[in-house]
Amino acid sequence: MADTRHCFHCGLPVPAGLDLTARIDGEDRPMCCHGCKAVAELIGASGFDAYYRFRELPPGEAPAPPPGDDQHWRGFDDPETLPLFAATRADGRREAVLHVEGLYCSACSWLLENVLRRLPGVDEITVNTASSRLHVIWRTEDARFSAILGTIERLGYRPHPQSLTESFSPRHRERRQALKRLLVAGVGMMQVMMFAVALYAGAFQGIDPEMRSFLVWVSALVTTPVVFYAGRPFFQSAWRGLRSGRPGMDLPVSIAVGGAYAASLYAAVTGHGEVYFDSATMFVFFLSLGRFLEMSARHGATERSAAIGQLLPDTVRRIADGSDDGEEIIAVARLRAGDRFVLRPGERVPADARILNGRASVDESLITGESEPVPRAAGDEVTAGSINLDGALTLAAERVGQDTMLASISRLLERAQAERPAVAVLADRVASWFVVAVLAIAATVGTAWWWIEPGVAFPAALAVLVVTCPCALSLATPAALAAANTALADRGILVTRSRALEGLAEFDRIVFDKTGTLTRGRPELERVLPLSEEIDAGRCLTIAARLESGSEHTLARAFPRLGNSGNSGDSGNTPADLRPVPGRGIEGTVDGERYRIGSAEFVGEAASAALARIETVAASTVVFLGDANGRVLAAFELRDALRDDAAEVVRTLRDAGIATAIASGDRSRTVQAIAGRLGIDDARGGLRAEDKLAWVRQLQAAGEKVALVGDGINDAPVLAGADVSIAMGAGTTLAQSSADAVLLGDSLGPLLEAVELSRRTRRIIRQNIGWAIGYNVLAVPLAASGMLAPWMAAIGMSASSLLVVLNALRLRRGGATAGVRRTPVETARAPSPGVLEASP
Amino acid sequence: MSVLYFLIPLGLVLLGLAVWAFFWAVGSGQFDDMDTPAWRVVMDDDRAPPARDEEKEDER
Repeated sequence: MADTRHCFHCGLPVPAGLDLTARIDGEDRPMCCHGCKAVAELIGASGFDAYYRFRELPPGEAPAPPPGDDQHWRGFDDPETLPLFAATRADGRREAVLHVEGLYCSACSWLLENVLRRLPGVDEITVNTASSRLHVIWRTEDARFSAILGTIERLGYRPHPQSLTESFSPRHRERRQALKRLLVAGVGMMQVMMFAVALYAGAFQGIDPEMRSFLVWVSALVTTPVVFYAGRPFFQSAWRGLRSGRPGMDLPVSIAVGGAYAASLYAAVTGHGEVYFDSATMFVFFLSLGRFLEMSARHGATERSAAIGQLLPDTVRRIADGSDDGEEIIAVARLRAGDRFVLRPGERVPADARILNGRASVDESLITGESEPVPRAAGDEVTAGSINLDGALTLAAERVGQDTMLASISRLLERAQAERPAVAVLADRVASWFVVAVLAIAATVGTAWWWIEPGVAFPAALAVLVVTCPCALSLATPAALAAANTALADRGILVTRSRALEGLAEFDRIVFDKTGTLTRGRPELERVLPLSEEIDAGRCLTIAARLESGSEHTLARAFPRLGNSGNSGDSGNTPADLRPVPGRGIEGTVDGERYRIGSAEFVGEAASAALARIETVAASTVVFLGDANGRVLAAFELRDALRDDAAEVVRTLRDAGIATAIASGDRSRTVQAIAGRLGIDDARGGLRAEDKLAWVRQLQAAGEKVALVGDGINDAPVLAGADVSIAMGAGTTLAQSSADAVLLGDSLGPLLEAVELSRRTRRIIRQNIGWAIGYNVLAVPLAASGMLAPWMAAIGMSASSLLVVLNALRLRRGGATAGVRRTPVETARAPSPGVLEASP
Repeated sequence: MSVLYFLIPLGLVLLGLAVWAFFWAVGSGQFDDMDTPAWRVVMDDDRAPPARDEEKEDER
């Protein structure tokens, strides 16, 4: 057995005579089966090779989790902190739910599950890709929480422990409850329908009275849980509506279900008369189904737009009381107002705090949407969620947890999100008088027949009630919306509010917020201009790359990362003596010479002079490289690159007769340049959030419907003010929550599909409502005249609602072209950039 | 036809069992995520058992 080869991927022996290999990290590795080969190649292609480097693989043994330092997470093992994040199970084990950043696809969940399972003491691990959540159960005596968190981090993901109140959310309970109700209604309906067919057949062909009564009683037995368990939400909601004096759509539903059930029960007891158990169950099932679909769409949207905890760091270096240098790492949840803490470059601010010591450039884009970093020094305040880019800071926490500005913004957004969409509000208003009308008609018909022929009075009144059941009417909109939401989600568009579909179908002007919507939102190196004879462009770039390699500044990302630069053949490290000067540039030693890179003023007077000479493309930033003697070596021109499909989207929208515009906070010159490149009609720069909102209001006052595409949180009021708002998924998480729809991918293309699909949705909703109303107008007189037996009414009503649902489901099928749907391969590749960045 | 008096109640009992099983499945979280399990089959690595089952590994 000594010479048996082992599968590089799973560690099992390779069967004799099998010659399969996969290329990983530049080497051909043996594989034991095609499955492993496929997975290994997928991992390689997705940039996950690091996984194979991390693990130690003695032949025949499962991959071990990467070793490393869990120091950073130690705070979570603290006996005071742990109970905040991990629940104790009945058997003494701990369980916790983590939100994992960077978890996009099943390849990720596979990696996490398999590596974590090898951690001693970890018993169970489940990864939910849809909500980026990881559920883990471990034995406290063998494993530490910090080890689990550290392992996840070393795999290239960012774990965020969820506090217990967050992780076992009411949303979960609601969904489970709804599923149970739906199933009870579904199987109940099928059973009762079966009995009903027998009863109807019996009515025509003759049936043994005993058998009839048996079937009726069995139907009653099955219908009872459907009405009282599955139908409970309708009764509750109807009762709430009645109590608040605003009868909703659920009132006639409840009356019809309750009435049909009561009348049928009466018929069962007295032994004659019609039974409507089938109508009652069918009614409950179809309504539950519609609501379940709608709820799923709603939950999917909120789960994706991440919780506020994700935006804040999980741990903080607190300065122990009474000393000046004793630092301890604690969970942010334990940070109190007044505590002092230390923030290193690259870390996020965990609470609203005041700087006591030090100076730094702070990226506040989360709050302000402004991508330029702001210099902050002792005495200044920084808000939770901003990133300390380049300085070491000592801070005093002023507001923590729910009191931070970030938390209050997020609460505002939540409240806005909780509001009912316009369609639902309208439906409720219509329902109020619809209900009254239905009840009045039913009562009139009953009374009238009472005088003419008492025997017909009850069946006729019931037929009216059943036939006018706003079943089709109440399904018409939600069914179409739910189908459209699903279809949109398949295309990478998440609808967070129902009004998005209405709005997308009929806007006539689209306003882009420049940063991050039309452009990629990160600078790219446009060209290198050597300004000195002695040194060529490649060498300048190498020096610049090494100087910038230690920086988190947005501009630094434009330079090639060390190790990737290739062409200049360097293998240099980050210079040891880098000295970032906040807001200006970086100074450091490369190959024994001292260099400066940064703004013209920072590099020297010669650079300022050069800046005047250089002819730059509009909308670009120029960074200079100089040496310690004030000599300027090179200028780097950086420019925010356009998204690949921006031009096409703008053109298509224009062709469809939609006006395009940019409203941006950036300099007018920059904005004009981008508008020119894309052919956008109206471009306005230098606008503050209030100005943007004012402009949108002005357009609306002129009768235009405005769609807004934004990305920063400072857009939130504007997003809310527009008729419909779309956020880019790559943008600030909070902005996503305030927008009506979110584009999950990094491209604008889905926007066009969303517009097309919303137009189809609107058409289908109109058809549905038209049908439902037409059917009622036709059926009510028939029912009132006593020509329609209640069972005919029930069949008519069911057929009508079925038709409406099927019509709505067309949205899911039609147009779901293969080319548009994300293929598994694309989905699997999605995480690679993030993972690569985070990998050591 | 009298066999129906037996078969229908039997059907209802089975129905009850099915509903109970479904409630259990929902309660144990099997319906919380409808996306990942579909892919898990394709991404399989479960032939390599967890580290604590090392004896089984040797048997192979």
